[in-house]
Amino acid sequence: MKLRPMRTAVILGGLVALAAVGCATTAKSPTIGTGDPVADRQRLMKNVGANWADIQNKVKAGAPETVAVNAEALSLHAQRIPSLFPVGSGTDKSKAKPDIWQKWPEFEAAAKNLENRSATLRDQATAKDGAAVTATVGTFGRDACGACHTPFRVPPPQQQPAQPRS
Amino acid sequence: MQIKHVKSAVALGSLVALALASSATGQSTTKLWTGDPVADRQRLMKLNGASWADAQAKLKAGNAEAVAVNAETMALIATQIVALFPEGSLTDKSKAKPEIWQKWPEFEAAVKNFGSQADKLKDAARTKDLAATEAVAKEFGRQACGTCHTPFRVPPPQQQAPAPPQLQPTR
Repeated sequence: MKLRPMRTAVILGGLVALAAVGCATTAKSPTIGTGDPVADRQRLMKNVGANWADIQNKVKAGAPETVAVNAEALSLHAQRIPSLFPVGSGTDKSKAKPDIWQKWPEFEAAAKNLENRSATLRDQATAKDGAAVTATVGTFGRDACGACHTPFRVPPPQQQPAQPRS
Repeated sequence: MQIKHVKSAVALGSLVALALASSATGQSTTKLWTGDPVADRQRLMKLNGASWADAQAKLKAGNAEAVAVNAETMALIATQIVALFPEGSLTDKSKAKPEIWQKWPEFEAAVKNFGSQADKLKDAARTKDLAATEAVAKEFGRQACGTCHTPFRVPPPQQQAPAPPQLQPTR
């Protein structure tokens, strides 16, 4: 009999606190995205891929100094990547490996690596140093994309190693 | 004595709930940005401007399809703008007008409109139809950028309307 009001009080306190948190966060930080982290990150990563394709096209077309805009997009998108991988957001449609959440600090470091390398590429393009841009682009797929995709993404079918011949 | 216990129980419950709430959001909302909303939104809007400039350069070169990536970059930026204008984030360096917070629903609607216009540009570019993409681009500055910048941004010096001609004193 004595315990019951106390339990109610604990629950009541919890609810009040949660409500306060809810209000504080909705007012201060309107949500970014649709609320579906898998859809949101797939959309973001598609634009990362499209900006990377645009960078390669521009370098091929002999205009390496024009890639600054794309590199800056990659750098800003990279900042958002960790926030789009909440715990438990691995679904059938997701190619995310569980290793992301098992090795979270390494995953965060890999996203930061993309941010930093993209910023380097942006600065080289802004400085109109075409040779530096071309050199960075040459290793970007391995050093920036691959450094995260190899440990943390299930490879798409066409990139899987060929079946050994029997 | 009993009331004291109940009080501490309420406090305990609050603390536990707060801890749970913050750990639940801690990883799902890894800190975005630098914490300086003016610097963050200026960086974002510079990318917006550069993406629009890149899109226009590609159109001039007759490459409609390549505009899609810039339009999608802008559409993604549109999803982040509102979050970067917290109340009270008006400083000397900011060109934001106080109207943003006085007419918040209109500001949100203007950002949403920008996102829709960027989607429209992206869809046109994906058809690879140069004329159709140019038609959307022609209206983009006014309909996508201007509908938000005109009411909610202090115009940069070179874009300010020329001063009305001085009236000659009449005798």
